[in-house]
Amino acid sequence: MLFKIRRSSEAREHEVTSESVYANRRQFIGQAGALALAAASPVAVALETHDGRSRSPNKPAWLKDKVLAARETPWGADETVAPYRSITTYNNFYEFGLDKSDPARYAKTLQTDPWSVKISGECEAPGTLTLEDILKPLSLEERIYRLRCVEAWSMVIPWIGFPLAELIKRCKPLSTAKYIEFETLLDPKQMPEQSSRFSTIKWPYREGLRMDEAMHPLTLMAVGLYGEVLPKQNGAPLRLVVPWKYGFKSIKSIVGIRFSEHMPSTSWNGIAPQEYGFYANVNPEVDHPRWSQASERRLPSGLFAPNRIETQLFNGYDEVASLYSGMNLKKLY
Amino acid sequence: MAKRRFWSVLVWLIGLAPVVWLLVQVVRLQQGEWDVLGNEPGRAIVFFTGEWSFNFLVLTLAASSLKRQVSFAALMPQRRKLGLFCFFYALLHALAYSGFLLEWQWYEILNELIERQYLTFGMLGLLLLLPLTVTSTKGWQRRLGKRWKSLHKAVYVVAVLAAVHYVLQIRSDWFWPTLYAMLVTLLLLERFMTSKLIRKAI
Repeated sequence: MLFKIRRSSEAREHEVTSESVYANRRQFIGQAGALALAAASPVAVALETHDGRSRSPNKPAWLKDKVLAARETPWGADETVAPYRSITTYNNFYEFGLDKSDPARYAKTLQTDPWSVKISGECEAPGTLTLEDILKPLSLEERIYRLRCVEAWSMVIPWIGFPLAELIKRCKPLSTAKYIEFETLLDPKQMPEQSSRFSTIKWPYREGLRMDEAMHPLTLMAVGLYGEVLPKQNGAPLRLVVPWKYGFKSIKSIVGIRFSEHMPSTSWNGIAPQEYGFYANVNPEVDHPRWSQASERRLPSGLFAPNRIETQLFNGYDEVASLYSGMNLKKLY
Repeated sequence: MAKRRFWSVLVWLIGLAPVVWLLVQVVRLQQGEWDVLGNEPGRAIVFFTGEWSFNFLVLTLAASSLKRQVSFAALMPQRRKLGLFCFFYALLHALAYSGFLLEWQWYEILNELIERQYLTFGMLGLLLLLPLTVTSTKGWQRRLGKRWKSLHKAVYVVAVLAAVHYVLQIRSDWFWPTLYAMLVTLLLLERFMTSKLIRKAI
């Protein structure tokens, strides 16, 4: 064949390096130890020269070691993972700007170390935990999840983290704890867009889950991706990942966790409840008032091959369906 | 005359620069560079062409206001060009939306146009620009005589439709849509205030 017609899902030549390096990362990591490349993981070195961006996600060092030791899991093994550059340059993190490329550019100001999370509300063990406290008893795992944004695009992301349930158990929630509420850092010095007058979001950003959703084994707290510590634009150092819900539920840079008896008010739901439900389960049959949710653009997409695929109920994670049995998902979207 | 030529060339340059830039980006993209137009190049092009269409719409309306209010008349002879660039980018905007985002699926495009209010307003605006574009030539100007002027007042309706189309898309940040809507309001108000009817009444 003289001409090779590239499908948008196929990797282009320049994309291949990072992915192949990534696939063999464990082997590389071993070699790196031998070569005593202490500064950054070889994955990061390869990626850095590859996409020409200067960045230093692999801090703090103690977290880097922990992330590198993450074990692989079967989740998403058959998925085509989005390139590192797509995952780290196309972000909705309004605290740093509204453009998708803003967070990658401006999130440098975020101070992720030291970091602590305040646990409060209906639980036996309230208090403040540092990130080290949270991670010390845990071992991390890698899970490749599909992320479906409410804006009708999606990406496949190799997260590194731990099931939220493990943290919740340590907080010993009371029987009155029916919901869990999360809060992002509030500090306009570090998150400049929080002082913008043109945003309708009331900072800090808040999200919440029902307890059974939070305890579900799929629900992840991420501290890394692509074999490295979570980049700031992706919600460092600690973020939620709920793969069967629209991306805005997966709150970033969490500083507060609160157990409550009543359904918490959450950011987007508060601004436009007719557009963003509390549940926000991925559902091709419930459109956003301004666009269809029946299909999605799987990123990265090419110009003449938008890579559109059909959206699946619960983003294809059928195992959560039982959480919603008897609920009218068209009303409780 | 030299002055007029200067403004004519300037409007041509400003009018063509965005589309030339866009073409360069598309060529780079197709050659495999990745850091152009972001991860969703189609969407970026839709936004870009929409913004430029609106820029030219505002400039078209501003021409006579600037003359009336600050005696700056240089844009007056350029209004046809400005208006045509407005239509040109609006057309690219609609084509990019249909092609890059909806992949020419006609049923879906039609469905979206009816179902999504902001799209309906945008489409009506584009449709209304069509007769204005067709009759923009000197020949049509002559043929229509006095009616030409009243027909081309339809651009006020286009401006309102475009502003509504933009404002309806506000999600969190309302700065740009509001700014454009305010510009349109200001330019239309200025016309209203300076119209013969009102001046007589005052």
